Amino acid sequence: MLEWIARGLHKRRVTTPYPRREEPALPGFRGSLTVLDPLNARGELARLCPTAAIAVDAQHRLSVDRGRCILCGSCVDAAPERFAFDHRYETAARTRSALTVPEDTDAALEPLRATLAEQARALRRSIHVRHIDSGSDGSEEWEIQALWNPYYDIQRLGFFLTAAPRHADVLLVTGPVTTAMRQPLQRTWQVMPEPKALIAVGTDACSGGLTTSGELAAGGVDAVLPVDVYVPGSPPAPIAIMHGLLLATGLLADSPLGVPA
Amino acid sequence: MTATIQDPTRRPAFLPGHLDAVREAAPPAELRLRVGAPDFDSAARAIKDAGARFVTIFLADTPELSLVGVFALHGELIMVRAPAGDSDPLAATAIGDWWPAARWPAQELRERHDRAGSSVPAQRRLTAPDADLLDRRVHGLDVFTIPYGPVRSGIFEAIQFQIETGGEDVPQIQTRPFFKHRGREARFVGLSPTDGVYVAERVAGIATVAYATAFAQAVERALDVAAPARAQRWRAVYAELERMACHLDVIAKEAETTALYVGQARFQILKEQVMRLRARLTGSRFARGIIVPGGVRREGAVDLDELLAAVEELERDLRRDRRLFRNTASMTDRLIGAGRLDRTLVEDYCAVGPLARGSGLSTDARHERPYGDYERLGLRVITHRDGDAMARVNVRFGELAESLRLLRQGIDHLRRHDGALTNPLPAGRGGAAFGWAEAPQGELVIWVEIRDGLLHRVHIASPSLRNWALFDHAFPRDVLTDFAFIEHSFGLTPAGADR
Repeated sequence: MLEWIARGLHKRRVTTPYPRREEPALPGFRGSLTVLDPLNARGELARLCPTAAIAVDAQHRLSVDRGRCILCGSCVDAAPERFAFDHRYETAARTRSALTVPEDTDAALEPLRATLAEQARALRRSIHVRHIDSGSDGSEEWEIQALWNPYYDIQRLGFFLTAAPRHADVLLVTGPVTTAMRQPLQRTWQVMPEPKALIAVGTDACSGGLTTSGELAAGGVDAVLPVDVYVPGSPPAPIAIMHGLLLATGLLADSPLGVPA
Repeated sequence: MTATIQDPTRRPAFLPGHLDAVREAAPPAELRLRVGAPDFDSAARAIKDAGARFVTIFLADTPELSLVGVFALHGELIMVRAPAGDSDPLAATAIGDWWPAARWPAQELRERHDRAGSSVPAQRRLTAPDADLLDRRVHGLDVFTIPYGPVRSGIFEAIQFQIETGGEDVPQIQTRPFFKHRGREARFVGLSPTDGVYVAERVAGIATVAYATAFAQAVERALDVAAPARAQRWRAVYAELERMACHLDVIAKEAETTALYVGQARFQILKEQVMRLRARLTGSRFARGIIVPGGVRREGAVDLDELLAAVEELERDLRRDRRLFRNTASMTDRLIGAGRLDRTLVEDYCAVGPLARGSGLSTDARHERPYGDYERLGLRVITHRDGDAMARVNVRFGELAESLRLLRQGIDHLRRHDGALTNPLPAGRGGAAFGWAEAPQGELVIWVEIRDGLLHRVHIASPSLRNWALFDHAFPRDVLTDFAFIEHSFGLTPAGADR
């Protein structure tokens, strides 16, 4: 056992300083998709996307719904003058519409459900997190688990994992909500005490992603339950999920999404 | 792919003389036999008796609607095809009744094919699980059933185990998959092969590279193109990094379960290093969006010297942590003897991957039917005979070292040979073929049908579904507190099983 301790001490500190300081993304990391030039776009550009995340409106304005984007890069390869990857981790947003870039200035802001955020300060940074898988591909689970590894160590920020939904403040949901998981998900949410927040983790949870909506899956968590924070990505990086948790609990102000870093 | 020219008139020796079977043209390492529907089961039985391993059963639609059984024997994939004609294609077989390995796949096929009028009672239905429907029959005094899942403690994928226990002993476990079924196979239909790979990558996310590679190779074999050698080398590099990440994840979880927290942290650090290396190489922590049918999209974005240095650092750290892990009695005591699977049981269920190799079977798709760069890389198949959780962990430790060795070889090949990264796919063509890869969970086989350049039908035989059926038998002498150790030692993913 002493040898293990020596081994642990031997490794220098690896924990990220985030959110005290920014964690720069690894070079080339595909964090989110961004539109370089939205004007005078041809309608065919929309057909580049396998999940219909790209839209071209009547004024030939191009937009991307990050909640649908699976970061495959088909559009970046085909039209590099229009699309590019944003090399950063923070992708979470508090409304579904805020995931569309460039932001539509005319869209009415959806009302924010910020009850937990308001009361989080009273919780003195002791927030209990519960996870439920509603049909993910398994990669989101790995990235959530990573939050408790030495690199991210989210416990230092006061986030604890709890097995009981009755003790949970935050529910992390992955997957597009399959038919068999719909009722277990609803029940888990019901038994959680107020105030509580729900975070949709991953593109599948935000919109269904590549999963066909219908008989087998609901096409995103917000078709079943109200979502407080969306973390798009296929899968989102651990820092992105951490960003979502901090947003949901009011420990971090909204990031200026849509403005390239 | 071995470049042997097949003699179409050669009749396989394992078929009984009275059986009418026609040999059909097939890509290398595949043997395709057409039989009449009444002969399907006797052909399958003859193949079983010859020592074959069951792979999957499904309905194919090329060249016509047929019931297809797939088996692995002597470095070949044997496909037995019974055209349906006007009759019910499933009427031809009862394979699930006499071959344990075929039970789940055959039941899944039957339930999906005949959804409306299923004669299976709701509690016994495999593909439409209801978390509340418990099988209340228990065996013995003071025995009760714990429904564990689909919402589980900790961060785990959704699956349910109905655990019969009196508190300590576990007389029976019933695994219920398919809570996560989201219709992945149907999602392929109508897509171009290039878009199809995005679906393949998201069947079982932790095995992204294996699924992308098996799918891409199926497309390449169906359209008779080959990925360039350099693309195959990169695929093998990504595949071995993926194997390392999955194996390190299993070992970290075993350490967590024993509350060996420094050990857990050490293996999590190693796994995170692999994830970051993949992110730097490909832009994705799971190496997504890099493999395409016909090759790979681009070069790895890390200088080869730097890649080699990263591999060497992993090698150094891993060697020490492995020695410590194996010398920590509180760790090994929980694993030795836990969840012992007899070799005969593993053979009956035709298990694959580290699970099979931990019970003494040397099955490995990279070795049985070498594909891509594995035709050139010298692979050592790691096996242990004990069949317990320790053996499965030891197989993974052995394979971690082997992956690092293969990575060194791969880097060396990449350094010495230059070349193209993709070969174009012929437009508008059709074809049908199998592709395979050894995923970290075991052998993965994907069947792809292409018509006019678009995907017509895709079938996935995932290692997780095949291995999970064994979980119900993994508690011969174990108690409830061994559950987590045994589950982690299986190292499977519900996303892959449920599709």
